[in-house]
Formats: sequence, structure tokens, C-alpha cells
Amino acid sequence: MRLLHNYHYAAAMLLFCLGLHTVIVRRNIIKKLIGLNIMETSVFFFYISLGYLEGGIAPIRTGGADPARMVNPIPQALILTGIVVAVSVTALALSMVILLYRQYGTLDVDRLMREEEPEAGESGKEG
Amino acid sequence: MKKVAALLFISALAVLLLYVVASMPPMGDPDNPTATHVIPRYLERAEEETHTVNVVTGVILNYRGYDTMGEVTVIFCALAAVLAVLGRERRGVIHGFVDRSEVPASVIVKTMVRFMVPFIILFSVYTILHGETSPGGGFQGGAVIGGSMIIFTTIFGLYESSRRIPLKVRAPLEGAAVMGFFLVGSLGLVGGGNFLTYAWPRVAQGLHPSLVVWLTVLVEVGIGLGGAMVLTSILFAMIREEEEIAPAS
Amino acid sequence: MKMGTALNLVLILLLLTTALLAVTARDLLAAVVVFSVYSLIMALMWQRLQAPDLALTEAAVGAGVTTVLFVITIFKTRRREEE
Repeated sequence: MRLLHNYHYAAAMLLFCLGLHTVIVRRNIIKKLIGLNIMETSVFFFYISLGYLEGGIAPIRTGGADPARMVNPIPQALILTGIVVAVSVTALALSMVILLYRQYGTLDVDRLMREEEPEAGESGKEG
Repeated sequence: MKKVAALLFISALAVLLLYVVASMPPMGDPDNPTATHVIPRYLERAEEETHTVNVVTGVILNYRGYDTMGEVTVIFCALAAVLAVLGRERRGVIHGFVDRSEVPASVIVKTMVRFMVPFIILFSVYTILHGETSPGGGFQGGAVIGGSMIIFTTIFGLYESSRRIPLKVRAPLEGAAVMGFFLVGSLGLVGGGNFLTYAWPRVAQGLHPSLVVWLTVLVEVGIGLGGAMVLTSILFAMIREEEEIAPAS
Repeated sequence: MKMGTALNLVLILLLLTTALLAVTARDLLAAVVVFSVYSLIMALMWQRLQAPDLALTEAAVGAGVTTVLFVITIFKTRRREEE
């Protein structure tokens, strides 16, 4: 019964599991990153749902808004910074993906693991 | 085999998480632990303590300023890492796949973008400057400026847009968020308070509220400019191609 | 059932559907575009949860910047998943 009432939380958990499944099972790195982004947004969604108040209003004190009816501002503040960090992490990961593709010509993790090191690694072995 | 194991693991995790959700307090209840401890105090007193009408901005910049300062440092480090991996664009050279796209953007698209981008930037400036009285602030406005730069770059190409925001303008502004925080934080020390206090106890008991608001806006502008420039630089670094083509005069 | 609850349920259903589509699509470009739709719906959801600051950021960052960065990467690498 509580599960039905907390359907926001349940949806966030399902999205998290979906993202995690993608990160584990999919072999394409870009797919893995999409899964990672879905996991991130699901966690953000969970936080904001935690701070919600039934019939609440946004935490902006204009026009004599009643503070007792405002939703929780702390999750919003935390997640606001979290979103921007998430996009920087995605940008860094994608730039590494570009470099990886330039070096190995593939985005498949299984192939990347099988692939021999390019010349730098070879000469290292011989030396 | 591996897929089955992963599916089993995920299913077990989902059941566990949903079980936890079923035993959590009901969502939206005012008696929840999340809504009872420190929250009423923030909501009651944010306006007199931080002089911001938007409580989210007050929490970000004032109550939890350290957290945000660390976070803008993380963004700056991410930019540094992207540049270390991909490198900067060079001046006077056409870069990028957009410039030599096989299908050039039509006149309608170009005119619309040229018409819209100034208004988008105007909107984001409004968002940044009114962060303490309405929804918005440095992060939001910076992201919107970054979005407008993306629109412009995808239509007009990297050469045109890096002429509009040249490297020597962008490079000093990329650290604006960190520097703004550091500057205002140090001003708090000078005023006799702690690092990142906006009210200065030594100068005056209960400083004039407008000065606190000005300091808050200064940090917001720093975050907005820094965020926008970081997003733009990341975009330029990713969009530029390794092989460079000379300008088509 | 109240109107608000119905709208929330529809949004959540759309969220789950778009997430599933983004994860299952074979074409990476299609997956990224669907992911951008997912971000926009998430922004709507955040407005429903009374977080306008977040809705603004997510609409600009999630649907805009992240999508374009993914599209650039796909342009520079390959569009199809390898078999």
C-alpha cells in the first residue's frame, strides 16, 4: 500500500535499476554512458521527491508565501550543483571516448579488452 | 550466462530497493524526518539571514557555500581534464565537422538563430541577476548561455563562434566561478567574520542588507560567467577536429 | 483520482518508456535523441515537484548540452552499435 503511495520513489528505483543494467550488460561505451546518465537523473529524482510536501509551493518567499507550505530547499540546492557536475563528468567521459576511438577504432568494450596495446605498449614490452 | 547473472543481480536489487521504498514514510507528509529538523528554520529565517527571497539560492550560496565552492572547483577541474585530453582550438584556423558539413544550414535557420541568440543571452542575464528574488541563478543562467552558444556553433561553425568569443576572453573567465567565491570569501575574512560570511561583524553590527545582496549577486555573476565559459570551452574542445583546414578565405 | 496524480502518473510512465527506449535502441543517435526527450520530461516532472530552479537547469543542461555532447561524440566515432 505504501508502495503505491510512494510511486515517485518506486519509479526512481526502477530507473536506477534500468540504468545499472545498461551499464553492466551493454558493450557499447556510449550506451553505458547513457545508462550512467539515467542512473544520475534517477538519484536526483529520488532526492527531489524526498523533499516534496503535499500541496507544497516552491521555496521562494514572494507575496507573503507561507513558509510552512514550502517544499524542502536543501535537496534542490544539492541537486542543482549535482546536475552541473553530472554534465561535466559526461563531457570528460565523452572526450575520453573520442580519444579511445581514435586510438583503437572501436567502442565495444569486449573488443577493447582483447585489443593489443598500440605501438607504445609493444615497444614497452620489448624494452 | 553473464547476461543472466546480471539480470538476476538487477532483479534482486530492484526487489530490495522496492522493499525499502515500501517501508519508507509516505511522500509529501509534513511530519517526515526530511521536513522537520533544520528545514523549518531555513524557510523561516532565510530571508533575514541571507537576504535572498529564493531560499534555494540562499542555501547554495550562503548556508552551504563551502559545498558549492568545492563543486565549482570540480567543474573547473573537469574542464582542465577535457582540455588535457582533447586540446584547445587554434586561432585563425577553421575547425570542426560543422564547417564542412555536406548540407549547409539554410538561410531561414541562419536568420532565426541570429535573431534568437541575443534574446536567449538576455534571458540568461536576467536569470543570473535575479537569482535571489526569483527562480534562477548562476548555474541556471550559465547553462542557458552554454545552450545558446551550442545553437550558434552548430549553425555557424566553430570558426565563426570562436571569433565571437575568442580564446583570450574565454580563458581568464573560465575560473570566474572559483575566483568569485574566493574573492567574496576573503572579503568575509577581512570584515572580521569567517570565510564566506556575507555579513561582516567587525565593520558593522548587521551590515546594510543591500551590500549582502550585492555580494550574493557578485558570486552569482561569477558562477554564471564561469559556468557559461566552461561549457563553451568544453563544446569547442570536443567539436574541433584533429586535422585542421585552412580558412576558405 | 485527482488531476495532479493522473498527470504525475502519465509523466512517470513517459519517463520509464523513454528510458527503456533510450536503452534498447540499436541506433545510438536515436538513443541520444530519446534521452533528450527523457530529460525534458524530467524537467516537467521537477516543475510538478515545485523545483523551478532545477527544471530550468535540466531543460538547458540535460536536454541541451548533454545531448549535443553525445551527438558530437557519435559524429566523431560511429553511429551503430557493433555486433
